[in-house]
Amino acid sequence: MATTTLRPQLGTYGSTRSWVYEWLTTTDHKKIGVLYITTAFLAFLIGGVMALGVRTELAVPGLQFVDASLYNQLFSLHAITMIFLFVMPMWTGLANYIVPLMLGAADMAFPRINALSYWMIPAGAALILGSFAFGGAPIGWYMYAPLSATDPAKGVDMLLMGLVLLGTSSILGAINFIATIFKMRAPGLTLMRMPLFVWNTLVTSVLLLFSLPVVTSGIAMLFIDRNYGGGFFDPALGGNPVLWQHIFWFFGHPEVYILILPAFGVVSEIVPVFSRKPLFGYRAFVLATASIGALGFSVWAHHMFVTGAVYLPFFAFFTFLIAVPTGIKFFNWLATMWGGQLRFDTPMLYAMGFISLFLIGGLDGAFLAVVPFDFMVNDTYWVVSHIHYVLVAGSVFAIFAALYYWFPKMTGTKLDERLGKVQFWILFIGTNLAFFPQHLLGLDGMIRRVADYASNAGWTELNFLSTIGAFLIGVSTLPFLWNVFVTLRGPRDAADDPWDANTLEWATTSPPPTYNFDALPPVRSERPLFDLKHGAVAAHATALPAASGQTHGELREDAAEERLGKPVEGDRDESGEPRGVAPGVSAEAPDATPVAGRSEPDMAEALRQDAEKPSKPGEPT
Amino acid sequence: MRLRALLALLLVACTSEANQNFTGDTRPPGFFPGEVVTEQGRLSAGLYDVVFIIAAAIFLLVEGLLILIAIRFRSRKTDTGLPVQDHGNNLLEIAWTLIPAIIVTGLFLGTASVLGRVDEKVEDPGLVVDVTGFQWQWTFEYPGITRANGEPISFTGSGSDGPEMVVPTNERVRIRLKAQDVIHSFYVPQFFYKLDVIPGRINQFDVVVQQPGTYGGQCAEFCGLAHNEMYFTVRAVDRAEFDTWAQDAVQQANATPAPAPSGAESPAPGGTVAVTSVSTLEGFDPANLRAPADTPITFQLTNADPAVPHNVAVKGGNPDGTDWIGLPVAEPGASATYQAPAMAAGDYEFFCSIHPNMRGTLTVGG
Repeated sequence: MATTTLRPQLGTYGSTRSWVYEWLTTTDHKKIGVLYITTAFLAFLIGGVMALGVRTELAVPGLQFVDASLYNQLFSLHAITMIFLFVMPMWTGLANYIVPLMLGAADMAFPRINALSYWMIPAGAALILGSFAFGGAPIGWYMYAPLSATDPAKGVDMLLMGLVLLGTSSILGAINFIATIFKMRAPGLTLMRMPLFVWNTLVTSVLLLFSLPVVTSGIAMLFIDRNYGGGFFDPALGGNPVLWQHIFWFFGHPEVYILILPAFGVVSEIVPVFSRKPLFGYRAFVLATASIGALGFSVWAHHMFVTGAVYLPFFAFFTFLIAVPTGIKFFNWLATMWGGQLRFDTPMLYAMGFISLFLIGGLDGAFLAVVPFDFMVNDTYWVVSHIHYVLVAGSVFAIFAALYYWFPKMTGTKLDERLGKVQFWILFIGTNLAFFPQHLLGLDGMIRRVADYASNAGWTELNFLSTIGAFLIGVSTLPFLWNVFVTLRGPRDAADDPWDANTLEWATTSPPPTYNFDALPPVRSERPLFDLKHGAVAAHATALPAASGQTHGELREDAAEERLGKPVEGDRDESGEPRGVAPGVSAEAPDATPVAGRSEPDMAEALRQDAEKPSKPGEPT
Repeated sequence: MRLRALLALLLVACTSEANQNFTGDTRPPGFFPGEVVTEQGRLSAGLYDVVFIIAAAIFLLVEGLLILIAIRFRSRKTDTGLPVQDHGNNLLEIAWTLIPAIIVTGLFLGTASVLGRVDEKVEDPGLVVDVTGFQWQWTFEYPGITRANGEPISFTGSGSDGPEMVVPTNERVRIRLKAQDVIHSFYVPQFFYKLDVIPGRINQFDVVVQQPGTYGGQCAEFCGLAHNEMYFTVRAVDRAEFDTWAQDAVQQANATPAPAPSGAESPAPGGTVAVTSVSTLEGFDPANLRAPADTPITFQLTNADPAVPHNVAVKGGNPDGTDWIGLPVAEPGASATYQAPAMAAGDYEFFCSIHPNMRGTLTVGG
């Protein structure tokens, strides 16, 4: 577990290599993370352009912009691009960068497999996006047989091959994360002290590991059906089209949690930091995450309520049940904020935007569990609205929260707050304008995946609004891109811990050196950095005296008297030590107080010195 | 309403070809379902209202709390030290686990009981209608109503409105669904219901239409190129009117001769045009046809497609300017001969009325 013995080096492995060679061959989890994130963001822009094509066509009735054939390719590849090339690689990239840092590890468990996982993504993306040149893949993202098995376009075969590559990449990535999380944690970082983002990445990886092999085999069967007359899904040859749906959704529903659980993790990191409070109900949160993961495997057929081929009450019940752990998360986030000192920096705005809008996506999910109602809105715009409230208001908001939050760690400079807020509000309004009207359209019977709709159905105004919203979402990427461009040209002067955060990634420099840490602070709670800055006792105090001169991002220099307080009665961890009292930051104040007058970028150095001091188990005075 | 004015302009500018096939409740969409006309659908729609109220309450509670928290607990310049570092509260957490669990259990019980009644099928329904979905049309067949030769009467859609299904009101009608090629879905919004039409499988449901009227329906499962044009209508009439309709339909069916086998019928006077429908995606062969002007035209269609029926139609081919549509359609592998009226010289577009993407040019005269 000791992963910090390697000496960190600033800069790259050797100055003789060109940076192109360096990036092409790197096995550094941070560089791979940046590659993932950049690739995913490009896919976000490409998928977004496809979405704008779809919405432009639907702005008014009639076919004006694209024909039905191109339309069908656009909506199919929009979904596939956004799910498989944007959100999944984006979360993998963020986790790649952040999870080893949060664990106090030097790298992922298998760095070269990590690089392999990444490089399968551009290859898969080339196949998938290249399918446009070969008739596209107009079969929808869930590729229902027999339509997908009989479509003559070669683009469909390219899509299937691309998906197998992406699936293999994700399976390898999942194994890598699981190994990293179980084997590479810093001393003292027990499972129940892991940051929630790590917990969510772990559950996500388990979901990937169990669901992806299933769909990958399904895709192989579909490929055989298409090219060699396999007949798996062809009733004329003894196959069954419904089998494909079972295979696909056995993956497809856990996939939704694969896309949203990391978002829960991000929000659970950001809300406590910007409320200056610990996460309310940490254990309940972990349990809720794990049970969402488990329940996620028992609800797949709720996508198939109208096939007439599934046992409805079973899947309805478990679908309802999954609302309970999700509800716990909402209340725990609210309770975390309650009584805090809320700072509305851009990451927090996005996290709160997530909470307020993902709520709609979640409530929609409960509606859809009402089977007779699902009979009405399945395959209508109501479901389109639901999935976009989950994936745009959910995943995309959390992705932006994460990008704003960890950008200073990755680059050494904070994104501009003013541009960030402008982007947030455009995206917030655009998301609601684009997707809320779709609820009403679906409830009125407008089906999805249609290039055109009747002009006398009364749907024109709401569709027009939805298109305006979609363009606002498109516009909202401009301030972000400009923000990144301008910020990266500016000075890299962000502090190691600019947000006054709690977790280990902020205990190293921004950006971290190769192999990440010179020394680690002791880990005695899920907030090791908080303990370091504010003292162990502060973590449990019910009321605190004033701290003069305290500003965000600085180590406290004058909180000695607080640390002299007694730990809360009965609050001891398994070893009998008071929980949250770090050896280097013991209740004996003088030892624990970081050196006065130390400048911020020296934090890593300070930690190293602290760690080298003889450890003194905290004793109540 | 500036938006409306803008839209009107846009509509005039861009929607010359926009279809008008929506039939049924044209009131603007709202937060609650529109008019639902079946016994089963009304039960389901009633459940929606209950869920909506619960969801709205939860929505207001959470958003209200979020706004309250954002205002009340925002950081202030006067903040001193850290806020209270509370890590949890077992009682509260048990409460917000149990209360949602009770709510969803209640919702599940409500769902299960309504579901049982919506899904209920009787031994002996008053009327059975067999529905066949294929790319991109429907056939409605009444196995209980037969013509002289013992075959059930049957209606295959052609053209953009699709076929019409006539059912009696206040009687249990069994709809049986089967698919010929890919998965479709039988969806009538005002029934508040849909059921997939899956190859290799017969899905069925019972429905009691309580209100007479004509209700639009559409395929709801993405099924390829012209998925958005797979319309149909259901007309519900009282029993007496239904019986009259059925009698007329049988008479009409008896009067229509069965499609002649290929080549059996001598070509009618005037121009004869032979054309082959190759497949839905590859269209007609040849795609350019010639016919003399001002004489009736005979189309001899060979349907070489192994799986799908096709026909021939001519845009604006009727003397009154409407589309001429050749019926009945040619089944897979069969041939059909159609008698079209005389047309004035000029270029016409001919197409398959089932697959509007299958198009060609018919040059008349010249």
